[in-house]
Parts: sequence; structure tokens; C-alpha cells
Amino acid sequence: MRTLVSGMRTLGVLLRKELLATFGSPIAYTVAAVFLLVLGYTFSLTLFATKVANLIYIFHQMYVLTILLVPALTMRAFAEERRNDTLELLLTAPIGEVWIVLAKFLAVFALVLGMYLGAIVYAIVLDTHGSPDWGPITSGYLAIVCHAALIVAIGLFMSSLTENQVVAAALTVGTALMLWFADSVSYLLPPPFDVLAINLSLIGHFRPMVTGSVFVSDICYFVTLALLALFLATRRLAER
Amino acid sequence: MSKRYGATLALDALDLDIRFGEIFGLLGPNGSGKTTFIRLLSGYLLPTGGQLEICGHNAVEQPLEARRLIGYVPETAPVYGYMRVREFLAFMARLRGMTGRSVFDAVDRVIAALALDAVADRPARTLSRGYRQRTAIAQALVHDPQLLILDEPANGLDPRQIIEIRTLIRGLAGRHTVLMSSHVLSEVARTADRVGVLLDGRLKGVRSMADTPDLEAWFLSLA
Repeated sequence: MRTLVSGMRTLGVLLRKELLATFGSPIAYTVAAVFLLVLGYTFSLTLFATKVANLIYIFHQMYVLTILLVPALTMRAFAEERRNDTLELLLTAPIGEVWIVLAKFLAVFALVLGMYLGAIVYAIVLDTHGSPDWGPITSGYLAIVCHAALIVAIGLFMSSLTENQVVAAALTVGTALMLWFADSVSYLLPPPFDVLAINLSLIGHFRPMVTGSVFVSDICYFVTLALLALFLATRRLAER
Repeated sequence: MSKRYGATLALDALDLDIRFGEIFGLLGPNGSGKTTFIRLLSGYLLPTGGQLEICGHNAVEQPLEARRLIGYVPETAPVYGYMRVREFLAFMARLRGMTGRSVFDAVDRVIAALALDAVADRPARTLSRGYRQRTAIAQALVHDPQLLILDEPANGLDPRQIIEIRTLIRGLAGRHTVLMSSHVLSEVARTADRVGVLLDGRLKGVRSMADTPDLEAWFLSLA
């Protein structure tokens, strides 16, 4: 219990520092601006073209933008600390590596949630001018939040592997794309690997939630892979 | 204690006892294993063989307890550039488990001890090399550690700054154990109480400076 309390206190100290670094960086505001600009453009375009009060297209747009933009936020997490030698300060302090990883995860995740919060305005616009079905919109937001958690976790793991930020970002985008299209190779694989490939598919777990079907298995997929990526990042830091 | 990176043996069965309150200088050319040894002692690296004990704590089995007793200044004197000096020092104090009023007292103490008053409220990225080095030493001292580890503390400093840092380190003797590494013989000769020579990952010899009137001759005899 005492260890947990001390750990939470450490997490608080680290999170404050990470929030300062994340929200103090121009990258954060650039990414948020690009995200909201592209999303606003897509929203207007699809609304005028389809005249349908749903956000399915927007959620798919957010899905792609998250894969493309979040790596720009996570790439510097460990890579920059390693390059500036400040990682030595953190790793020689009397704290567990897991708190360092969690603080970085929570800081970037908070920024991404802030960006998503800005996108809630589209749901409000739909509600003002039409009668949207709030079920798929709510499950769609759940899906995109789960998706973001996974991409942030993968990004942190990739950043822990290298001190080159561009390499970290490229590895994150590459891994996310591989997961996205994992089911495409299933017909080439023998059983049981074909089923494994289908179940690894990112879009396969995202799509049902966006259309209003929330399965525990889909949520477990995102949570499990995110935890695995965070665990690997922690192990990478603990390698001395 | 040994450290291996793949097939490369960076430290070969190093056996060394550093006494409480002394300033121990680790001397050796670039690539001799000084930084590896210092990183092992700081907990940044783990040994691949042997034992490492810091003030009675096994650094491998009780790493957090051992790290609590250490203040460490890496060679590049890293600081978080986006933080103000005072903010950075408070962050490092909290990271070492300090809470409440004691954090501010400790920060004020090290700011005074390292003459950082003039830059205390400036962002760390704007500091000169000398102030940056002092800030890095201040963060290592903020929790009043028993062991202070300095990797090449005079690196990149001008003559005046070197004298200031040397005076500062000498002033720590007795209250803190100090381990400093350097590849500059004269710097170690002027600062350390005892000196060890590391060559190709092996500790070639350890001597008291009082018994070593000509450090250069002794170093050359080992090399």
C-alpha cells in the first residue's frame, strides 16, 4: 500500500513535468490545429454531400489522422530525453521505470483527448440542425479514445527504442498500418495464423464500435495491446 | 565488478572501495571505461558480473534504496531546458522523494551554495555552460546525498569556471563522498584525496594524492 502511495506521488511529479513539456511544445499546437482543420473540412464536405446526421465518416477520418499525427507527439517522448541525456537523470532517480512510462503516456493521451474534445462540436452541430442517433456517436467516441490509447502506447514504445525522433515516428506509423491491414494477409496464412491475423486487425475492432456495436472483445483488444506496448516500453527502459 | 557490452568487455573485474567523506578521482584516457564505471555506480547501468554496494545497499538487489543515496551529474550536465532553474531543482527534489516545505528549503539551500541566485528564475535553456554545470551539480545535491558522482565535471568550462567548480567540490569533502572522473591529470591532482587509474577497463592502481607527488610520472608508469 505504501509503495503504491509513493508510486502515485512519483507519478504526479512526473506527470506535471510531462504536461509542461507536452503543452509547452509548438508541435502539440501544430498537430492539434492540423487535426481540427482537416476534420472540420471533412465534416463540412460530408455533411453537405450526404445530408445524413451521423459521424461515421468523421470517426474514420479521426482514425486515420490519429495514426498519422499522434506519432509526431510520441516520437520525442523518450527519443529526446535520450538525446539530451535527461533520461539518465530519470533512470538514476529512486523511481520505478513504470511511472516514467505511465506519466508520458498520460500526458500525450491528455493532449489527444483535448483534440477529440474539440471535435465534439460536430456532434453538437448535428444535434442542433438534425436528429442524430446518439448511440453510434457515443460508441464512436469510445472507439476513437481506445484507438488513441493504443497508438499513443505504440508510439511510446517505438520512442523508447531509438534516439532518432523521425525513426520513432516512422516505426509507429508503420506498426499502426501493419495492424490496420493485418486481416488482408489472412487468406495467405495457414490456420490458426489466418484467424490470428484477422483478430489482430485494428480496423476489424474499430469498425463495429463506430457503427454502434460495442463488444467487450473489441475493447479488450485495444486495452490489451496498449498495455503490452506500455509493458514493452517499461522493459526497454529497465534494460541496463 | 564487470560490465560487458555484447562481446566487448568494458570493465574487467574492477575491485574498488571508496571511503566515506573522501574525494576519489578516477583517471583514464577517453574510452578507458570511466563513464561505464560511473554509470554502473549511478544505477544507470547494471553490472554483468560481480557486486556493487552503495552505503550498505546492494545496487542490483536494492536499486531504489541505493539510488536514494546518490547524486549524479552526467558528463553533459543535462537539464530540462523548458523549466526554470528553481523549478528544475524542485522537480529533482520531489523525484527523490522530498515533499512539502522541505523541497523549497532544499532548493534555496543549493541555490545559495552554488551561487545560482542570479539565474534561479531563468529558463535552464538560457544558461551559460558554467551555470548549467552548477545547476546540474545543484540537482545532484538537492536531496543531500551521501555519494556525489561527477562525470568529467570540468569538461567544457573556462579556467575561471574550472577553479570555481574545483573549489566547490573540495568544499563538499567530509560531508559527502565524491567520485569524480577526468582525463585531465592536473584537475584530479588538485581536487582528489585519492586517485585510481583506469586503462582499457582495468583498474591499474589506486593511490593517495598525499603519497603521489608526481601524478604524471605515476600515470605514465602504469600506462
